[in-house]
Amino acid sequence: MGGMKKVLSGFTALATIASVAVPAVAQADDVTVGVLVPLTGELGEFGKIVAGSVELGVKQINEAGGTKCGMLRTVVADTAGSAEQAIREATKMIDTEGAVALLGPTSGAMVALVDLAKRKETVVMSPYAGTITLNEIGGDYIYRTVSSDLGDGEASGLWLKEKGYKKVAFLVQNEESTISPAQVAQERLKDAGIELTDYVIYNPGQPSYQAELISVLANEPDAIYLAGGQESGVTVLKEAAAGGYGGEWLLTADLAVPEVFDALDPRILNDKAYVEVAQADKSLPEYKAFEAFHKAETGAEPGPFAANSYDMAMLVALALEASDGCTGAAVNSMIRDVTEGGEKVSSFADGKAALADGKDIDYEGASGPLTLDKSGTPAGAYQIMKAVDGAWVDEKFFPASAFE
Amino acid sequence: MIQSLLLSTLMFGALFSVLSISLNLQYARGGMINFGTVAYFAAGAYAYAIFTQEPPSGLDQYAFGFDLPWWAGFLAAGVAATLFALITGWPTLRLRGEYLALTTFAFAEVLHSFLLNERRIGNGSVGLANVERPDLSFFGLDEQIGYAVAACVLMLVTAWLFNRLLASPYGRLVDATRDDETAAEAVGKDTTRTRLQVFVISAIPIGFAGALYAMITTLVSPALFTAEITFFVWIALVLGGERTILGAIIGTMALVFFQELVRMIPFESVRSAQIAASVEEVLTGVLFIIVLRWQPWEKMKRRKGA
Repeated sequence: MGGMKKVLSGFTALATIASVAVPAVAQADDVTVGVLVPLTGELGEFGKIVAGSVELGVKQINEAGGTKCGMLRTVVADTAGSAEQAIREATKMIDTEGAVALLGPTSGAMVALVDLAKRKETVVMSPYAGTITLNEIGGDYIYRTVSSDLGDGEASGLWLKEKGYKKVAFLVQNEESTISPAQVAQERLKDAGIELTDYVIYNPGQPSYQAELISVLANEPDAIYLAGGQESGVTVLKEAAAGGYGGEWLLTADLAVPEVFDALDPRILNDKAYVEVAQADKSLPEYKAFEAFHKAETGAEPGPFAANSYDMAMLVALALEASDGCTGAAVNSMIRDVTEGGEKVSSFADGKAALADGKDIDYEGASGPLTLDKSGTPAGAYQIMKAVDGAWVDEKFFPASAFE
Repeated sequence: MIQSLLLSTLMFGALFSVLSISLNLQYARGGMINFGTVAYFAAGAYAYAIFTQEPPSGLDQYAFGFDLPWWAGFLAAGVAATLFALITGWPTLRLRGEYLALTTFAFAEVLHSFLLNERRIGNGSVGLANVERPDLSFFGLDEQIGYAVAACVLMLVTAWLFNRLLASPYGRLVDATRDDETAAEAVGKDTTRTRLQVFVISAIPIGFAGALYAMITTLVSPALFTAEITFFVWIALVLGGERTILGAIIGTMALVFFQELVRMIPFESVRSAQIAASVEEVLTGVLFIIVLRWQPWEKMKRRKGA
């Protein structure tokens, strides 16, 4: 009797755990899209924004009747910012779930997924992976809806020059997503004749970065360019303030989330920290339409890369609609075609109708024009935001034309 | 879904079985507690990646990439693990019991820290991605099947060789060295040399397994080679029962199966994926505890015996 009780209590415990996580079952006429994002770790805040925006896009697509291959279905997995986890989850999404596209990996994961994407003929697309490594190896099964870090670094260089700093130090986390913009920005800094006092690369996951900060602060820079993740970056900012640093900051996109102000005393950032992020031109009607939709659905303003994420869902759906098949190879064959030459459309419903009429389409995204270059990358604009009263507010906008 | 679960269990199960079989040789037969197993695995994986990787370009921070074919990298993995076993074995094997365990653990941590901080080896925390791998899609079958077969072959060859070795007179020397060193030395056996030989011989397949792991994941980075792997293999060995090669394999397969089972569940919303991310570790831990507490294999064995 006692044994039976133990068995039953064991089963109850397992059933309770299993009921928390209800598995998804694919319908026969669905087409699966994997959402592969960091929901925890250094870029955890971005992952939530990206996954949420892809879900919004999928909802809109399904409300418009879905694609010719069926309704879009998403499966979501957390990469925790690890490339290994990304490969593992991607393999599972493709082999087990039959995903035709994987949306949302960060720079490091994108680079690690190149081989798998080509081998498994599955499109992998990112809304924020600006790494310049993809300038070389992207373009076939590997795409992004954000411009390359060449623009990001260029914008940083322009801003640092405009601010008139004489001495700038670089603190860079050793990740693909942070090294890439820092490398470009560093070159622009040299071109502008600004003295680079230090270029320190640090490993993420450390409890303290004081050793790195001591050498940086000793050279008394006017500003520090911090390319750090959402965990390490916050620690660096706190420790620099505690170490008596009173200069200004230019932070990279990874820190452009409001949660930064919750994680540290806003006075550390207010009026002396700037963050630079790839940003849609907010005056575009496509962006305004997306913004209104986002607000209506979630009650909140779109976060960083939300428009780029929404566009990924649109591109995959339109490519499926325009192609002959329902596979990753079909998406890959048409994804460029739907972004250039033809009738301009700005929603899935319009695109679907135009394709049904036998027209060629050019999708104008919420994040801007999405004409993809050889490496599968669009041109993009950048926004500098300033920390004011515990929030990021727009300071200066660099349109895509600024980098031509 | 079940096919995918079985395939990944077979692939990773066979791969990690190579580690547990080697550990079985070192610990159950050689009497050496090695808490640095992951280091030989990492040495093999990194050697494979460095030998097959193209020379550095763009954002790469590593200094060497020899762009050699996969088999050269595979051989290099064995050599790297052997060298690392010699370097770590020579000074540490004078130690016994928990002292040896702590020293090997320290060596593994030193290697991990070195790979993390010396970016000229393998890009530091970024690691080396898109590692070269041979095309193993035989007869039009999926590549995963090819890699599962390759892992099984490596496991079976290792098991067969170690079995032959231990069944030979050399096996009795190993046992004698473990049971009574003084007695073994009294009959003219060099026990220090035997211990080092066992240590090095068992590290070679671990190096090869590291190379195969790099081929399967197409990635090497310090985050992949933490002490978690060492403890995973130890738990598998304890689970399957010490002293038998079959026990080591069954224990590892069962552990990998549980892990893959937990990972197999798909999630459609951000919230459920977030819960899954946090629940996965807890669930795996609970399964470990259940299995270790009730030891179903031991019960099965006893029933079979009765």
